[in-house]
Amino acid sequence: MHRRGVGAGAIAKKKLAEAKYKERGTVLAEDQIVQMSKQLETFKSNLEEFASKHKQEIRKSSQFRVQFQEMCATIGVDPLASGKGFWSEMLGVGDFYYELGVQIIEVCLALKHRNGGLITLDELHHRVLKGRGKFAQDVSQDDLVRAIKKLKVMGNGFGMIPVGGSYLVQSVPAELNMDHTVVLQLAEKKGYVSVSEIRESLKWERERACHVLDHLLKEGLAWLDSQASGEPQYWLPALFSELTSRDVTPEEANQITP
Amino acid sequence: MSFEWPWQYNFPPFFTLQPNVDTRQKQLAAWCSLALSYCRHHKLYTLDIMEVQESPVFNHKNIDRKLSTEAILIVFEELRKKGNLEWLDKNKTQCLVMWRRPEEWGKLIYQWVSRSAMVNSCNTFPPEFHGLEEWMLIRSLQALQTDGKAEVITMDDGKGVKFF
Repeated sequence: MHRRGVGAGAIAKKKLAEAKYKERGTVLAEDQIVQMSKQLETFKSNLEEFASKHKQEIRKSSQFRVQFQEMCATIGVDPLASGKGFWSEMLGVGDFYYELGVQIIEVCLALKHRNGGLITLDELHHRVLKGRGKFAQDVSQDDLVRAIKKLKVMGNGFGMIPVGGSYLVQSVPAELNMDHTVVLQLAEKKGYVSVSEIRESLKWERERACHVLDHLLKEGLAWLDSQASGEPQYWLPALFSELTSRDVTPEEANQITP
Repeated sequence: MSFEWPWQYNFPPFFTLQPNVDTRQKQLAAWCSLALSYCRHHKLYTLDIMEVQESPVFNHKNIDRKLSTEAILIVFEELRKKGNLEWLDKNKTQCLVMWRRPEEWGKLIYQWVSRSAMVNSCNTFPPEFHGLEEWMLIRSLQALQTDGKAEVITMDDGKGVKFF
């Protein structure tokens, strides 16, 4: 067996073939590149045309935004992914959601002293619309959800807890785990919850239920009502419907600690 | 004009002294605010603890919640610390409520006096001063005196005030 011969010869042959392929490959690549450049040019000018046509619509119509976002998702593009480039600079999609994010933060901060940093998506929507005034652009709940997701990514302490078909928006980084979330969902129906209700619905031990409720009290998300008939009730200001429509009075504003 | 209740008034836990320290702070601040606004609205200057417990402020019959005597005393202590309340007796059964502090009244009086000094006609007390009880008036004048803006003079037939 001529091991050295086979080894050396094969390698040399292989190298020659590779070199030839490479040369061909290079030639091919140059062609391709020229073609691709042309395609990119066309693509770019089409995008620019798209942008100029639809920029207004993106700002004005929440329905258009939803469809636009869904389209982007289909082709694997996140128009909110980066602050620079086509999406934000040409289309202004980023701007829209950035500004909305700022508004959301303002609303949450203003109400934090009341609800401990937990607010229903409905109330948030209502107040954001109010803040924008009669002549401002339409904002949908879908818009809010996207803006909040963006805020979450940026690490602003934002989170969304699904409750009763909608969401509770958390704007303060309170430590809420699955147990807490599940109790919040239970409380959503009446705006309050008790130890017995938790034990009955979730089949938990008394201690586990109390632990969760104590935590909600500690985080300022719940208040204790010890005059309820039977056993104490734990109420969440965020879910108190009477509260959600009330503006912050000057007296309240004075009480808000920075 | 009817009295406007704050949102907390309809929130059942508002009538339970909150165990969480931060929440309790907010709660007490809201109670102080409510108590003072209520007194201001109804022009109340003196309160009797027994009576006050049954007043709509602390006893919200519609939602079947009332603030306990212990909690009322805690709220009143807060008001006392802020200068809005003074106990009339050691047993804490009666108190004076100053929904406007003597200094604030003093300022109003001084402003009124300065304005009326300009006019040579007979002056009647403007509406803000209606119902102002004498003890409150005296304290306000004393506050002005401390400020150097007035002097309370004792005369043969009573007291007079000189404004600077």
